[in-house]
Amino acid sequence: MEINIAFDAYMDRYFDFPGQWDTPSRCGVKIIRRKDGKSLVIATEIYRQNPGTPVTEWVAPLATQIMQHIEEQPENYIFIEHTPDLRSKLTFYDETFDKVDFDWDGGKFINPRWTRLSKVEVDKMMEG
Amino acid sequence: MKFKLIYPKWEKLEGQTIFYLPPHGPVVMAADIPDYVDIDFTDENVEELIIDETPDFVGISMMLTTQVQRGWAIADQYRKLGKKVIFGGISTMLHAEETMLHADSVFLGEVEGRLTDIFEDFRKNELKKVYNFMAKPPDMNLVGPANRDILKKDLYYHKGFRMVDLFHASRGCIYDCYPCAVRYLGGRGFRPRPIYRVVEELSQMDNNRLFIVDNSLALDTAWEKELFKAMIPLKKKWVSHTIEDKDEVLDLAAQAGAWYVYQAVFDTSDYIRNRIKQYHDYGIAVEGTILLGLDNQTEDDIKRLIDFLLEINLDLAEFTVLAPFPHTKAYSDLVKQNRIFDHNWDHYNAGKVVYHPKHMSAERLQELYHYAWDTFYKDEPQPMKMFNLISRVINREMEDGTYQPRRRDLIDVSFGKMV
Repeated sequence: MEINIAFDAYMDRYFDFPGQWDTPSRCGVKIIRRKDGKSLVIATEIYRQNPGTPVTEWVAPLATQIMQHIEEQPENYIFIEHTPDLRSKLTFYDETFDKVDFDWDGGKFINPRWTRLSKVEVDKMMEG
Repeated sequence: MKFKLIYPKWEKLEGQTIFYLPPHGPVVMAADIPDYVDIDFTDENVEELIIDETPDFVGISMMLTTQVQRGWAIADQYRKLGKKVIFGGISTMLHAEETMLHADSVFLGEVEGRLTDIFEDFRKNELKKVYNFMAKPPDMNLVGPANRDILKKDLYYHKGFRMVDLFHASRGCIYDCYPCAVRYLGGRGFRPRPIYRVVEELSQMDNNRLFIVDNSLALDTAWEKELFKAMIPLKKKWVSHTIEDKDEVLDLAAQAGAWYVYQAVFDTSDYIRNRIKQYHDYGIAVEGTILLGLDNQTEDDIKRLIDFLLEINLDLAEFTVLAPFPHTKAYSDLVKQNRIFDHNWDHYNAGKVVYHPKHMSAERLQELYHYAWDTFYKDEPQPMKMFNLISRVINREMEDGTYQPRRRDLIDVSFGKMV
Protein backbone atom coordinates (compact mmCIF):
# COMPACT_ATOMS: atom_id res chain seq x y z
CA MET A 1 0.00 0.00 0.00
CA GLU A 2 3.00 2.29 0.33
CA ILE A 3 4.07 2.13 -3.30
CA ASN A 4 4.04 5.06 -5.65
CA ILE A 5 2.00 4.38 -8.77
CA ALA A 6 4.11 5.46 -11.72
CA PHE A 7 3.13 6.17 -15.31
CA ASP A 8 3.18 3.04 -17.47
CA ALA A 9 1.62 1.56 -20.57
CA TYR A 10 -1.88 2.14 -19.18
CA MET A 11 -1.45 5.59 -17.66
CA ASP A 12 0.53 8.49 -19.04
CA ARG A 13 -1.01 11.55 -17.39
CA TYR A 14 -3.20 12.62 -14.49
CA PHE A 15 -6.78 13.80 -14.75
CA ASP A 16 -8.04 16.07 -11.98
CA PHE A 17 -11.76 16.08 -11.38
CA PRO A 18 -14.31 17.23 -8.82
CA GLY A 19 -15.40 14.00 -7.16
CA GLN A 20 -18.36 13.27 -4.96
CA TRP A 21 -19.40 16.28 -2.87
CA ASP A 22 -16.94 18.34 -4.93
CA THR A 23 -13.97 16.67 -3.31
CA PRO A 24 -10.80 17.42 -5.32
CA SER A 25 -9.86 14.09 -6.88
CA ARG A 26 -7.31 12.66 -9.27
CA CYS A 27 -6.90 9.56 -11.39
CA GLY A 28 -4.43 8.35 -14.01
CA VAL A 29 -5.55 8.30 -17.65
CA LYS A 30 -4.44 7.06 -21.00
CA ILE A 31 -6.34 8.24 -24.04
CA ILE A 32 -5.93 6.32 -27.29
CA ARG A 33 -7.39 7.45 -30.60
CA ARG A 34 -7.88 4.14 -32.38
CA LYS A 35 -7.63 3.50 -36.09
CA ASP A 36 -11.36 2.75 -36.20
CA GLY A 37 -12.04 6.33 -35.09
CA LYS A 38 -13.07 5.45 -31.55
CA SER A 39 -11.48 6.81 -28.41
CA LEU A 40 -10.42 4.36 -25.75
CA VAL A 41 -9.88 5.78 -22.29
CA ILE A 42 -8.19 3.91 -19.45
CA ALA A 43 -8.84 5.50 -16.05
CA THR A 44 -6.50 4.28 -13.33
CA GLU A 45 -7.19 4.38 -9.60
CA ILE A 46 -4.07 5.80 -7.99
CA TYR A 47 -5.04 5.11 -4.37
CA ARG A 48 -3.03 7.30 -1.99
CA GLN A 49 -2.06 9.67 -4.78
CA ASN A 50 -5.77 10.41 -5.21
CA PRO A 51 -6.89 12.78 -2.44
CA GLY A 52 -10.59 12.28 -3.11
CA THR A 53 -13.16 10.00 -4.69
CA PRO A 54 -12.02 6.64 -6.11
CA VAL A 55 -12.63 5.93 -9.79
CA THR A 56 -15.16 3.15 -9.16
CA GLU A 57 -17.35 5.26 -6.90
CA TRP A 58 -17.53 8.09 -9.42
CA VAL A 59 -17.19 6.16 -12.62
CA ALA A 60 -20.21 7.50 -14.51
CA PRO A 61 -19.62 11.22 -13.83
CA LEU A 62 -15.88 10.71 -14.37
CA ALA A 63 -16.42 8.98 -17.71
CA THR A 64 -18.68 11.87 -18.71
CA GLN A 65 -16.12 14.47 -17.65
CA ILE A 66 -13.28 12.79 -19.54
CA MET A 67 -15.42 12.38 -22.66
CA GLN A 68 -16.31 16.06 -22.60
CA HIS A 69 -12.65 16.93 -22.00
CA ILE A 70 -11.53 15.06 -25.12
CA GLU A 71 -14.56 16.26 -27.09
CA GLU A 72 -15.69 12.79 -28.02
CA GLN A 73 -19.18 11.42 -28.69
CA PRO A 74 -20.70 8.65 -26.54
CA GLU A 75 -21.04 6.24 -29.46
CA ASN A 76 -17.30 6.54 -30.19
CA TYR A 77 -16.16 6.17 -26.61
CA ILE A 78 -14.80 3.10 -24.82
CA PHE A 79 -14.06 3.34 -21.12
CA ILE A 80 -11.84 0.96 -19.15
CA GLU A 81 -11.28 1.10 -15.42
CA HIS A 82 -7.85 0.02 -14.22
CA THR A 83 -6.62 -0.75 -10.73
CA PRO A 84 -2.85 -1.20 -10.62
CA ASP A 85 -0.99 -3.90 -8.77
CA LEU A 86 -0.09 -2.63 -5.31
CA ARG A 87 2.16 -5.62 -4.65
CA SER A 88 0.09 -6.44 -1.61
CA LYS A 89 -0.28 -9.90 -0.09
CA LEU A 90 -4.01 -9.33 -0.43
CA THR A 91 -5.58 -10.26 -3.74
CA PHE A 92 -7.89 -7.24 -3.59
CA TYR A 93 -4.97 -5.11 -4.66
CA ASP A 94 -3.95 -7.11 -7.71
CA GLU A 95 -4.06 -5.44 -11.10
CA THR A 96 -7.51 -5.50 -12.72
CA PHE A 97 -9.11 -4.11 -15.84
CA ASP A 98 -12.85 -3.70 -16.36
CA LYS A 99 -14.65 -2.41 -19.39
CA VAL A 100 -17.43 -0.17 -18.16
CA ASP A 101 -20.62 0.17 -20.17
CA PHE A 102 -23.14 2.88 -19.43
CA ASP A 103 -26.50 4.17 -20.52
CA TRP A 104 -26.47 7.62 -22.07
CA ASP A 105 -29.00 9.94 -20.45
CA GLY A 106 -29.22 13.29 -22.16
CA GLY A 107 -25.72 14.56 -21.59
CA LYS A 108 -24.36 12.18 -19.00
CA PHE A 109 -23.53 8.55 -18.45
CA ILE A 110 -25.56 6.61 -15.89
CA ASN A 111 -26.02 3.01 -14.78
CA PRO A 112 -22.44 1.64 -14.99
CA ARG A 113 -21.88 -2.07 -15.64
CA TRP A 114 -18.46 -3.67 -15.31
CA THR A 115 -17.00 -6.56 -17.34
CA ARG A 116 -13.63 -7.97 -16.26
CA LEU A 117 -10.94 -7.99 -18.95
CA SER A 118 -7.55 -9.68 -19.11
CA LYS A 119 -4.46 -7.65 -19.81
CA VAL A 120 -4.20 -9.35 -23.21
CA GLU A 121 -7.73 -8.26 -24.07
CA VAL A 122 -6.93 -4.69 -23.03
CA ASP A 123 -3.77 -4.64 -25.14
CA LYS A 124 -5.81 -5.82 -28.13
CA MET A 125 -8.43 -3.15 -27.51
CA MET A 126 -5.71 -0.51 -27.37
CA GLU A 127 -4.59 -1.52 -30.85
CA GLY A 128 -8.10 -1.02 -32.18
CA MET B 1 -34.02 27.22 21.65
CA LYS B 2 -34.72 23.56 22.41
CA PHE B 3 -32.63 21.21 20.28
CA LYS B 4 -33.49 17.51 20.48
CA LEU B 5 -30.40 15.46 19.62
CA ILE B 6 -31.06 11.77 18.97
CA TYR B 7 -28.82 8.74 18.61
CA PRO B 8 -31.01 6.04 17.00
CA LYS B 9 -31.10 2.49 18.29
CA TRP B 10 -30.03 -0.57 16.33
CA GLU B 11 -30.43 -4.30 16.72
CA LYS B 12 -27.49 -5.93 18.49
CA LEU B 13 -25.81 -9.08 17.26
CA GLU B 14 -27.52 -12.28 18.26
CA GLY B 15 -25.87 -14.30 21.04
CA GLN B 16 -23.23 -11.77 21.99
CA THR B 17 -22.64 -9.94 25.24
CA ILE B 18 -24.57 -6.70 25.01
CA PHE B 19 -23.14 -3.48 26.33
CA TYR B 20 -23.65 0.15 25.47
CA LEU B 21 -20.96 2.80 25.41
CA PRO B 22 -21.67 6.52 25.56
CA PRO B 23 -21.68 7.61 21.91
CA HIS B 24 -18.93 9.85 20.63
CA GLY B 25 -20.41 11.67 17.62
CA PRO B 26 -23.16 13.47 19.56
CA VAL B 27 -20.78 14.76 22.26
CA VAL B 28 -18.35 16.05 19.65
CA MET B 29 -21.22 17.77 17.86
CA ALA B 30 -22.59 19.20 21.13
CA ALA B 31 -19.26 20.91 21.82
CA ASP B 32 -19.75 23.16 18.78
CA ILE B 33 -23.41 24.04 19.41
CA PRO B 34 -23.85 27.67 20.50
CA ASP B 35 -24.48 28.35 24.19
CA TYR B 36 -27.99 29.75 23.73
CA VAL B 37 -29.20 26.30 22.58
CA ASP B 38 -30.69 23.98 25.17
CA ILE B 39 -29.66 20.43 24.15
CA ASP B 40 -31.87 17.47 25.13
CA PHE B 41 -30.02 14.29 24.16
CA THR B 42 -31.58 10.84 23.83
CA ASP B 43 -29.55 7.70 23.18
CA GLU B 44 -32.32 5.44 22.05
CA ASN B 45 -30.24 2.34 22.87
CA VAL B 46 -30.56 3.01 26.59
CA GLU B 47 -33.77 5.03 26.95
CA GLU B 48 -37.11 5.42 25.27
CA LEU B 49 -37.48 8.18 22.71
CA ILE B 50 -40.65 10.21 23.08
CA ILE B 51 -41.49 12.00 19.87
CA ASP B 52 -43.55 15.11 20.55
CA GLU B 53 -43.78 18.78 19.67
CA THR B 54 -41.46 19.96 22.46
CA PRO B 55 -38.29 20.61 20.45
CA ASP B 56 -37.79 23.59 18.17
CA PHE B 57 -35.20 21.79 16.07
CA VAL B 58 -34.20 18.12 15.82
CA GLY B 59 -30.77 16.62 15.14
CA ILE B 60 -30.10 12.96 14.39
CA SER B 61 -26.56 11.69 14.81
CA MET B 62 -25.78 8.34 13.20
CA MET B 63 -22.60 6.31 13.39
CA LEU B 64 -23.57 2.92 11.98
CA THR B 65 -25.19 1.79 8.79
CA THR B 66 -27.56 -0.26 10.96
CA GLN B 67 -28.86 3.00 12.46
CA VAL B 68 -29.86 4.76 9.28
CA GLN B 69 -33.28 3.24 8.66
CA ARG B 70 -34.32 3.91 12.25
CA GLY B 71 -32.92 7.44 11.97
CA TRP B 72 -34.93 8.07 8.82
CA ALA B 73 -38.12 6.76 10.50
CA ILE B 74 -37.63 9.11 13.46
CA ALA B 75 -37.07 12.04 11.12
CA ASP B 76 -40.21 11.22 9.15
CA GLN B 77 -42.26 11.35 12.35
CA TYR B 78 -40.82 14.69 13.48
CA ARG B 79 -41.27 16.20 10.05
CA LYS B 80 -44.94 15.17 10.11
CA LEU B 81 -45.17 17.29 13.26
CA GLY B 82 -43.69 20.19 11.32
CA LYS B 83 -40.26 20.02 12.95
CA LYS B 84 -37.08 20.67 10.98
CA VAL B 85 -34.58 17.80 11.10
CA ILE B 86 -30.84 17.90 10.46
CA PHE B 87 -28.70 14.76 10.16
CA GLY B 88 -25.00 14.36 10.86
CA GLY B 89 -22.42 11.75 11.74
CA ILE B 90 -20.45 9.05 10.01
CA SER B 91 -23.30 7.04 8.55
CA THR B 92 -25.06 10.21 7.40
CA MET B 93 -21.97 10.75 5.26
CA LEU B 94 -21.97 7.13 4.09
CA HIS B 95 -25.67 7.29 3.15
CA ALA B 96 -26.00 10.98 2.31
CA GLU B 97 -28.21 10.80 -0.78
CA GLU B 98 -30.73 8.46 0.85
CA THR B 99 -30.70 10.46 4.07
CA MET B 100 -31.52 13.66 2.18
CA LEU B 101 -34.90 12.12 1.32
CA HIS B 102 -35.80 12.18 5.02
CA ALA B 103 -34.09 15.39 6.08
CA ASP B 104 -34.51 19.13 5.96
CA SER B 105 -30.76 19.32 6.06
CA VAL B 106 -27.73 17.03 6.13
CA PHE B 107 -24.34 17.94 7.50
CA LEU B 108 -21.36 16.32 5.80
CA GLY B 109 -17.91 16.60 7.29
CA GLU B 110 -16.54 17.64 10.67
CA VAL B 111 -18.41 20.15 12.84
CA GLU B 112 -15.79 22.30 14.52
CA GLY B 113 -16.41 25.97 13.77
CA ARG B 114 -19.47 25.28 11.63
CA LEU B 115 -22.56 24.93 13.80
CA THR B 116 -23.02 28.55 14.92
CA ASP B 117 -23.81 29.52 11.33
CA ILE B 118 -26.12 26.55 10.86
CA PHE B 119 -28.17 27.35 13.97
CA GLU B 120 -28.33 30.94 12.76
CA ASP B 121 -29.65 29.69 9.40
CA PHE B 122 -32.29 27.71 11.29
CA ARG B 123 -33.33 30.79 13.27
CA LYS B 124 -33.69 32.75 10.02
CA ASN B 125 -35.59 29.85 8.43
CA GLU B 126 -32.81 29.61 5.83
CA LEU B 127 -31.58 26.09 6.54
CA LYS B 128 -29.68 24.67 3.55
CA LYS B 129 -30.41 21.20 2.22
CA VAL B 130 -26.74 20.23 2.41
CA TYR B 131 -23.87 21.61 4.45
CA ASN B 132 -20.95 20.09 2.64
CA PHE B 133 -17.57 20.30 4.37
CA MET B 134 -16.25 16.98 3.06
CA ALA B 135 -13.25 18.59 1.40
CA LYS B 136 -12.70 21.19 4.11
CA PRO B 137 -11.59 19.53 7.33
CA PRO B 138 -11.24 21.97 10.23
CA ASP B 139 -7.98 23.11 11.75
CA MET B 140 -7.19 20.43 14.35
CA ASN B 141 -6.42 23.21 16.86
CA LEU B 142 -10.18 23.81 16.90
CA VAL B 143 -10.93 20.27 18.07
CA GLY B 144 -11.39 20.89 21.77
CA PRO B 145 -13.00 18.84 24.53
CA ALA B 146 -16.24 17.08 23.64
CA ASN B 147 -19.36 18.10 25.56
CA ARG B 148 -20.14 15.01 27.65
CA ASP B 149 -22.50 16.99 29.87
CA ILE B 150 -25.33 16.10 27.47
CA LEU B 151 -25.04 12.41 28.44
CA LYS B 152 -27.19 10.83 31.15
CA LYS B 153 -24.15 9.11 32.58
CA ASP B 154 -25.97 6.72 34.91
CA LEU B 155 -27.37 4.93 31.86
CA TYR B 156 -23.90 3.66 30.92
CA TYR B 157 -23.37 1.42 33.95
CA HIS B 158 -23.73 -2.34 34.14
CA LYS B 159 -24.34 -3.58 37.69
CA GLY B 160 -22.41 -0.66 39.13
CA PHE B 161 -19.51 -0.86 36.64
CA ARG B 162 -19.05 2.21 34.50
CA MET B 163 -18.44 1.73 30.80
CA VAL B 164 -15.48 3.34 29.08
CA ASP B 165 -15.87 6.81 27.59
CA LEU B 166 -14.95 7.32 23.94
CA PHE B 167 -12.24 9.75 23.03
CA HIS B 168 -10.24 10.61 19.92
CA ALA B 169 -6.75 11.96 19.45
CA SER B 170 -6.57 12.03 15.65
CA ARG B 171 -8.63 11.83 12.47
CA GLY B 172 -8.07 10.51 8.97
CA CYS B 173 -5.89 7.66 7.82
CA ILE B 174 -3.09 7.22 5.31
CA TYR B 175 -4.22 3.71 4.40
CA ASP B 176 -7.05 2.53 2.22
CA CYS B 177 -7.93 -0.78 3.83
CA TYR B 178 -10.31 -3.03 1.98
CA PRO B 179 -13.35 -2.95 4.33
CA CYS B 180 -12.81 0.57 5.72
CA ALA B 181 -14.44 3.90 4.78
CA VAL B 182 -12.19 6.23 6.75
CA ARG B 183 -10.51 7.36 3.55
CA TYR B 184 -13.90 8.81 2.50
CA LEU B 185 -14.96 9.97 5.95
CA GLY B 186 -11.82 11.51 7.35
CA GLY B 187 -9.61 11.98 4.34
CA ARG B 188 -6.47 10.28 3.11
CA GLY B 189 -4.19 12.24 5.40
CA PHE B 190 -3.43 11.58 9.05
CA ARG B 191 -4.53 14.56 11.15
CA PRO B 192 -3.42 14.33 14.74
CA ARG B 193 -4.77 16.70 17.37
CA PRO B 194 -2.13 18.88 19.00
CA ILE B 195 -0.97 17.13 22.17
CA TYR B 196 -2.01 20.06 24.39
CA ARG B 197 -5.57 19.71 23.07
CA VAL B 198 -5.59 15.97 23.85
CA VAL B 199 -4.31 16.53 27.38
CA GLU B 200 -6.81 19.35 27.91
CA GLU B 201 -9.69 17.01 27.12
CA LEU B 202 -8.35 14.00 29.01
CA SER B 203 -7.77 16.12 32.11
CA GLN B 204 -11.43 17.14 32.12
CA MET B 205 -12.78 13.59 31.85
CA ASP B 206 -13.98 12.10 35.11
CA ASN B 207 -13.92 8.55 33.73
CA ASN B 208 -10.60 6.79 34.28
CA ARG B 209 -11.28 4.20 31.56
CA LEU B 210 -11.34 5.19 27.94
CA PHE B 211 -11.63 3.83 24.44
CA ILE B 212 -9.38 5.82 22.12
CA VAL B 213 -11.36 5.41 18.93
CA ASP B 214 -8.68 6.57 16.46
CA ASN B 215 -8.46 4.25 13.48
CA SER B 216 -4.87 3.46 14.29
CA LEU B 217 -2.16 4.53 16.68
CA ALA B 218 0.47 3.39 14.21
CA LEU B 219 0.62 6.25 11.75
CA ASP B 220 3.15 8.75 13.11
CA THR B 221 5.81 7.50 15.50
CA ALA B 222 6.96 10.88 16.79
CA TRP B 223 3.42 12.07 17.55
CA GLU B 224 2.51 8.74 19.16
CA LYS B 225 5.50 8.91 21.47
CA GLU B 226 4.69 12.49 22.44
CA LEU B 227 1.07 11.52 23.02
CA PHE B 228 1.91 8.60 25.28
CA LYS B 229 4.50 10.60 27.24
CA ALA B 230 1.90 13.30 27.85
CA MET B 231 -0.67 10.73 28.96
CA ILE B 232 1.49 9.02 31.58
CA PRO B 233 0.78 11.51 34.41
CA LEU B 234 -2.98 11.30 33.76
CA LYS B 235 -3.05 7.61 34.80
CA LYS B 236 -5.92 6.75 32.46
CA LYS B 237 -6.48 3.13 31.41
CA TRP B 238 -7.44 2.75 27.81
CA VAL B 239 -8.42 0.54 24.94
CA SER B 240 -7.42 1.38 21.37
CA HIS B 241 -6.92 0.03 17.91
CA THR B 242 -3.49 -1.06 16.71
CA ILE B 243 -0.42 0.46 18.33
CA GLU B 244 2.83 0.60 16.38
CA ASP B 245 5.09 -2.43 16.81
CA LYS B 246 8.24 -0.53 17.81
CA ASP B 247 9.41 -1.48 21.29
CA GLU B 248 9.92 2.10 22.45
CA VAL B 249 6.36 2.97 21.37
CA LEU B 250 4.81 -0.04 23.11
CA ASP B 251 6.81 0.67 26.25
CA LEU B 252 5.48 4.23 26.37
CA ALA B 253 1.96 3.03 25.56
CA ALA B 254 2.07 0.61 28.48
CA GLN B 255 3.28 3.36 30.80
CA ALA B 256 0.51 5.61 29.48
CA GLY B 257 -2.12 3.06 30.51
CA ALA B 258 -2.69 0.85 27.46
CA TRP B 259 -5.11 -1.79 28.73
CA TYR B 260 -5.96 -3.75 25.63
CA VAL B 261 -5.85 -3.26 21.88
CA TYR B 262 -8.00 -4.36 18.98
CA GLN B 263 -5.59 -6.07 16.60
CA ALA B 264 -6.64 -7.39 13.21
CA VAL B 265 -5.69 -11.05 12.84
CA PHE B 266 -5.81 -11.76 9.14
CA ASP B 267 -3.62 -14.84 8.77
CA THR B 268 -1.74 -17.53 10.67
CA SER B 269 1.72 -16.08 10.13
CA ASP B 270 4.60 -15.74 12.56
CA TYR B 271 4.19 -12.00 12.12
CA ILE B 272 0.78 -12.15 13.81
CA ARG B 273 1.98 -14.63 16.44
CA ASN B 274 4.90 -12.33 17.33
CA ARG B 275 2.73 -9.22 17.24
CA ILE B 276 0.41 -10.69 19.88
CA LYS B 277 3.34 -11.87 21.99
CA GLN B 278 4.93 -8.43 21.76
CA TYR B 279 1.79 -6.75 23.16
CA HIS B 280 1.62 -9.32 25.95
CA ASP B 281 5.30 -8.77 26.78
CA TYR B 282 4.39 -5.15 27.59
CA GLY B 283 1.35 -6.15 29.66
CA ILE B 284 -1.10 -5.07 26.98
CA ALA B 285 -3.97 -7.47 26.36
CA VAL B 286 -5.26 -8.18 22.85
CA GLU B 287 -8.73 -8.51 21.42
CA GLY B 288 -8.28 -10.02 17.97
CA THR B 289 -10.60 -8.70 15.30
CA ILE B 290 -11.18 -11.36 12.70
CA LEU B 291 -12.90 -10.61 9.44
CA LEU B 292 -14.45 -13.64 7.77
CA GLY B 293 -15.53 -14.07 4.17
CA LEU B 294 -12.79 -12.29 2.26
CA ASP B 295 -12.08 -13.50 -1.24
CA ASN B 296 -8.76 -15.01 -0.18
CA GLN B 297 -10.39 -17.25 2.46
CA THR B 298 -11.60 -20.78 1.86
CA GLU B 299 -13.53 -22.75 4.43
CA ASP B 300 -10.30 -24.50 5.46
CA ASP B 301 -8.54 -21.15 5.84
CA ILE B 302 -11.22 -19.97 8.24
CA LYS B 303 -11.05 -23.15 10.32
CA ARG B 304 -7.25 -22.99 10.45
CA LEU B 305 -7.44 -19.34 11.48
CA ILE B 306 -9.72 -20.18 14.41
CA ASP B 307 -7.36 -22.96 15.57
CA PHE B 308 -4.50 -20.47 15.35
CA LEU B 309 -6.36 -17.96 17.53
CA LEU B 310 -6.64 -20.54 20.27
CA GLU B 311 -2.88 -21.21 20.06
CA ILE B 312 -1.73 -17.61 20.38
CA ASN B 313 -3.57 -16.86 23.63
CA LEU B 314 -5.73 -14.01 22.47
CA ASP B 315 -7.48 -12.42 25.42
CA LEU B 316 -10.68 -11.85 23.44
CA ALA B 317 -11.74 -12.34 19.86
CA GLU B 318 -14.38 -10.54 17.84
CA PHE B 319 -15.53 -12.25 14.67
CA THR B 320 -17.32 -10.38 11.94
CA VAL B 321 -18.32 -11.17 8.42
CA LEU B 322 -17.39 -8.71 5.73
CA ALA B 323 -20.01 -5.97 5.60
CA PRO B 324 -19.56 -4.02 2.38
CA PHE B 325 -20.25 -0.54 3.64
CA PRO B 326 -20.66 2.17 1.01
CA HIS B 327 -17.49 4.06 0.11
CA THR B 328 -15.20 1.12 0.79
CA LYS B 329 -13.17 -0.81 -1.76
CA ALA B 330 -15.03 -3.91 -0.60
CA TYR B 331 -18.33 -2.32 -1.62
CA SER B 332 -16.97 -1.12 -4.97
CA ASP B 333 -15.51 -4.51 -5.83
CA LEU B 334 -18.66 -6.42 -4.91
CA VAL B 335 -20.89 -3.96 -6.78
CA LYS B 336 -18.67 -4.30 -9.85
CA GLN B 337 -19.04 -8.06 -9.66
CA ASN B 338 -22.78 -7.87 -8.90
CA ARG B 339 -22.33 -10.02 -5.77
CA ILE B 340 -24.38 -8.08 -3.21
CA PHE B 341 -27.80 -9.71 -2.78
CA ASP B 342 -29.14 -7.96 0.34
CA HIS B 343 -29.52 -4.18 0.28
CA ASN B 344 -31.38 -3.82 3.58
CA TRP B 345 -29.07 -1.58 5.64
CA ASP B 346 -30.40 -3.08 8.89
CA HIS B 347 -28.57 -6.26 7.91
CA TYR B 348 -25.18 -4.53 7.55
CA ASN B 349 -24.21 -5.32 11.13
CA ALA B 350 -21.13 -7.42 10.31
CA GLY B 351 -22.94 -10.49 11.61
CA LYS B 352 -25.12 -11.21 8.59
CA VAL B 353 -23.86 -12.22 5.19
CA VAL B 354 -25.23 -9.86 2.54
CA TYR B 355 -23.10 -10.88 -0.47
CA HIS B 356 -21.98 -14.00 -2.30
CA PRO B 357 -18.56 -15.08 -0.95
CA LYS B 358 -16.04 -16.28 -3.49
CA HIS B 359 -15.21 -19.72 -2.07
CA MET B 360 -18.44 -20.83 -0.37
CA SER B 361 -22.12 -20.12 -0.25
CA ALA B 362 -23.50 -17.25 1.79
CA GLU B 363 -25.24 -19.81 4.01
CA ARG B 364 -21.98 -21.65 4.67
CA LEU B 365 -20.19 -18.43 5.59
CA GLN B 366 -23.03 -17.63 7.98
CA GLU B 367 -22.55 -21.05 9.62
CA LEU B 368 -18.78 -20.53 9.87
CA TYR B 369 -19.34 -17.16 11.54
CA HIS B 370 -21.34 -18.87 14.31
CA TYR B 371 -18.82 -21.74 14.39
CA ALA B 372 -16.02 -19.22 14.98
CA TRP B 373 -17.74 -17.59 17.97
CA ASP B 374 -18.77 -20.93 19.45
CA THR B 375 -15.35 -22.56 19.01
CA PHE B 376 -13.27 -19.71 20.34
CA TYR B 377 -15.41 -19.27 23.46
CA LYS B 378 -16.14 -22.96 24.04
CA ASP B 379 -13.80 -23.52 26.98
CA GLU B 380 -13.93 -20.04 28.46
CA PRO B 381 -17.07 -18.04 27.63
CA GLN B 382 -16.88 -14.44 26.55
CA PRO B 383 -18.17 -12.97 29.87
CA MET B 384 -15.44 -14.88 31.73
CA LYS B 385 -12.71 -13.60 29.41
CA MET B 386 -14.07 -10.06 29.78
CA PHE B 387 -14.10 -10.46 33.56
CA ASN B 388 -10.41 -11.44 33.41
CA LEU B 389 -9.62 -8.26 31.49
CA ILE B 390 -11.56 -6.12 33.94
CA SER B 391 -9.77 -7.76 36.87
CA ARG B 392 -6.44 -6.83 35.30
CA VAL B 393 -7.35 -3.20 34.96
CA ILE B 394 -8.75 -3.06 38.48
CA ASN B 395 -5.47 -4.42 39.84
CA ARG B 396 -3.53 -1.76 37.96
CA GLU B 397 -5.88 0.96 39.18
CA MET B 398 -5.53 -0.21 42.75
CA GLU B 399 -1.75 -0.10 42.39
CA ASP B 400 -1.71 3.49 41.16
CA GLY B 401 -4.59 4.73 43.32
CA THR B 402 -7.07 5.48 40.54
CA TYR B 403 -9.59 2.72 41.26
CA GLN B 404 -13.18 3.93 41.43
CA PRO B 405 -15.35 1.37 43.24
CA ARG B 406 -18.56 0.04 41.75
CA ARG B 407 -21.57 2.28 42.25
CA ARG B 408 -23.57 0.48 44.96
CA ASP B 409 -26.75 2.39 44.03
CA LEU B 410 -26.57 0.93 40.51
CA ILE B 411 -25.70 -2.62 41.49
CA ASP B 412 -29.08 -3.94 40.30
CA VAL B 413 -29.20 -1.82 37.18
CA SER B 414 -27.88 -2.57 33.71
CA PHE B 415 -27.88 0.30 31.24
CA GLY B 416 -30.80 2.02 32.90
CA LYS B 417 -32.92 -1.11 33.42
CA MET B 418 -33.39 -3.11 36.61
CA VAL B 419 -31.91 -6.60 36.42
